[in-house]
Amino acid sequence: MRTRIAIGGLAAAIIAGAVLLGGVLAGSRETASARSTAATVPNLFGDFSAGNTASLVLQLQSGLRARPNEAKTNALLGLAYQQRARETGDPSYYAKSDGVLRRALRTEPSNLLATSALGSLALSRHRFREALALGRRAVALSPSTARSHGVVGDALVELGRYDEAFAAFDRMSTLRPSLSAYARISYARELLGDFVGAVQAMRLALDAAVAQPEALAWTHVQLGKLFFGHGRVRAADREFRLALAVFPGYVYAYDQLAQVEAARGNLRRSIALERRAVDVVPLPQFVTALRDLYDVTGRKRQARRQDALIGTIQRLLAANGVKTDLEIALFDVDHAVRLPQALELARTGYRDRPSIDGDDVLAWALARNGRCVDALHFSKRALRLGTLDATKFFHRGMIERCLGDGAEAKMWFRRALSLNPHFSVLWAPVARRYSA
Amino acid sequence: MRKIALALLAVAGIAALGLAVVTRGAGPSAATASSHREAPLISEDPAVDNTDVYAFRSPDKPDTVTVISNFVPAEDPAAGPLYYQFATTARYNLNIDTNGDGTPNVVYRFQFRDSTPVAFLRNTVQPYTVTRIENGRSQVVFNGNTPPNNIGPRTTPGYRQLAANAVGSLSSGGSVFAGQRDDGFFGDIGAIFDSLGFRRGTGNAGGGKDFFAGYGVHSIAVQVPISSLNAQNSIVGVWSSADRLKLTVRTVKSRVKVKVRVGGKLVTRTRVVSRRVVGNQFVQVSRLGNPLVNELLIPTQRKDEWNRGTPRDDGTKFINFYREPVLAALINRLYPGVINAPERDRDDIVQVLLTGIPNLNNTGAVMSDQIRLNLAVNPSAPVGLGNRLGVLAGDVAGYPNGRRLEDDVIDISERAVAGILKGNARANLLGDGVDGNDVTYMTTFPYQADPFSGFDNTKGQQKP
Repeated sequence: MRTRIAIGGLAAAIIAGAVLLGGVLAGSRETASARSTAATVPNLFGDFSAGNTASLVLQLQSGLRARPNEAKTNALLGLAYQQRARETGDPSYYAKSDGVLRRALRTEPSNLLATSALGSLALSRHRFREALALGRRAVALSPSTARSHGVVGDALVELGRYDEAFAAFDRMSTLRPSLSAYARISYARELLGDFVGAVQAMRLALDAAVAQPEALAWTHVQLGKLFFGHGRVRAADREFRLALAVFPGYVYAYDQLAQVEAARGNLRRSIALERRAVDVVPLPQFVTALRDLYDVTGRKRQARRQDALIGTIQRLLAANGVKTDLEIALFDVDHAVRLPQALELARTGYRDRPSIDGDDVLAWALARNGRCVDALHFSKRALRLGTLDATKFFHRGMIERCLGDGAEAKMWFRRALSLNPHFSVLWAPVARRYSA
Repeated sequence: MRKIALALLAVAGIAALGLAVVTRGAGPSAATASSHREAPLISEDPAVDNTDVYAFRSPDKPDTVTVISNFVPAEDPAAGPLYYQFATTARYNLNIDTNGDGTPNVVYRFQFRDSTPVAFLRNTVQPYTVTRIENGRSQVVFNGNTPPNNIGPRTTPGYRQLAANAVGSLSSGGSVFAGQRDDGFFGDIGAIFDSLGFRRGTGNAGGGKDFFAGYGVHSIAVQVPISSLNAQNSIVGVWSSADRLKLTVRTVKSRVKVKVRVGGKLVTRTRVVSRRVVGNQFVQVSRLGNPLVNELLIPTQRKDEWNRGTPRDDGTKFINFYREPVLAALINRLYPGVINAPERDRDDIVQVLLTGIPNLNNTGAVMSDQIRLNLAVNPSAPVGLGNRLGVLAGDVAGYPNGRRLEDDVIDISERAVAGILKGNARANLLGDGVDGNDVTYMTTFPYQADPFSGFDNTKGQQKP
């Protein structure tokens, strides 16, 4: 289903066309690359036919007709619904998952699977304090189970409690090294500015994704994004193509190849690739990327259409319990939409998510509202881990410029561009202009 | 771990599956208020997911013992035959306990490398090394290659010969094989999934559907002289395991002294060196001895711990799960009043799985989950032709004295848990209705048949 349809039909289009969720709204092209990469996994549950989550759901539902309160069946169905949300993009699966997982816990309050699945669900909905509590509860139920430590660590990262988060990831890797553990450790190293270590961990993650085509494709895409974020366009391109080789038609790879083409100046080709991703699954981050590509190529009408689509997706997410304040704030700040309200939204989002990303969005929102002294405080916080992130560097440059420190501003713009000259189709040209 | 787990899970309240939510967080390269990256809810690391372990005296070479361990469950020949391979950063171990203490005395360790060029270019041959570790001393005993995966008559013509050529000789004695095989396991997972609802009554009358028919696995196997194992009392215990590298977020920094040239003079300076992979630390992530234990007996919250463990500790850490098997309660719930499986004080189960059967393969007081094989028992039939019910049917060359390919461990386990060894004759009502593999095993090492190719796959077909 195409997204180039009448606005009135958008909601239906999204549901039918399947927004792979977990995503969030975002402004810049960079943002688009960062988002959740949910993926369908053919061998989920070790089922015997690929992509069979739908039939698994049916089986579990029919099992529940005989025993509606069976804890494990409800817990499994809760997980299967989360997988369906990822496969179809229909966020109403989150509400369904919530329902059956809570039913499982009513029957069996200390059910580990249901507890940690609720934790995963809370993460998907960006309810990080809730996720932390659930993850901790899962750890208490079974300290020796690796997976629960991952839920705890993910929540702590989003809450800005990095030392505790990294300890949780280390614990996870000690208990059971796996794709999940390696990918998390890679991310933690990336946050710490350890690019080489992050790449190394992703290489181990690739090996732990062996024999699972979609997970392997996902891992290639993550590694490719890591390369792209550090200006290694060719290495990134290779990973995205490998993702397509192991999993043909993988939309996340098309989305990322669009960024590669944009970096190479092939904007027409970039738009074609991004449309290919959006046409299959109109994820908010894909739509945002497409919107910005239209914008920078002067196709303002098409860009506005994407804005409307993004708004609709946003309402669907909110209706199903997903918090996206920070994402909307960033989108609005990037695109200069209702700046004072965007700042308020950023503050609200920050309370739920006081991470370095929260710091950065709040800093950027403050700066765009002319509050540059306050902005500097949060920008410093955003960079406190030593993270190598061109967009955060760019925001800092804008803040320094606003404060009148031209030399310092230029230094940050140059840092951003030397790390990744293609960090944003919207903002990289601005950084170039101001760094000269 | 057998995917039967999943099936039973749904009805049994035995969570067997470790779904993992993979996240890699928001890339800072993302520079946004991005969410943590939710990634796939994936099945457990199939490359190190151990499905079955077999250990038997080789009928065609009775002075040798064969040990086979299968990984990568449910390889669908028609779906991406190129992706199935062994992990290259993991270690695969065949562990043999020769003195009954629950720790390995002899280990055959397999480590694989990437094929060159890589699999995307249709090369699925993987070079590998086998290291034999005897009481702590290691020795490389083989370097060679797997055969390619069976892709089809155009890509991998003459597959039988390709596979035969891949059987190698260990420098320590015996033969070795690693690569794709037809999954020798058989069972009606579909029926088990449906509340143990066997297709005909309680399932002992055949008519089941072999859900493993046509699927492949990646197999590692050795066939070694019995004399090379120095087994006490002629009894060995066998289990398989796989390890993955442990990583930590922060690098470990250490100071090293280096000599540098300063002004023409060599001087010693201290440098700080970062290492990221901490030492050579591996963590065991998977183990398998007796079939179905992980799935049917060990509860969700202890599975990672069990998989990380050594058999030696099973008696102290996990004994209750063997002594009060939840499967017994499940059977009673599903067939109320029909089977009446004893639910407690199952010393009979403890004996079969943890200490061995007296006068057959008992290894003493240490309780450890292993496949115990009395090497003094002669093979009773050519490969594939032993009585599928093994010891239960009086064929003491079969499970639980070792495990042969043809041993119907689903039926045996169900009946054992239902109390057949405690004289509960109703246990014989149980079975899944699938009594043998869909294809004939080979009569020589590595015994499991050549895998189906994508071209001629027959997966899931009705068994005649």
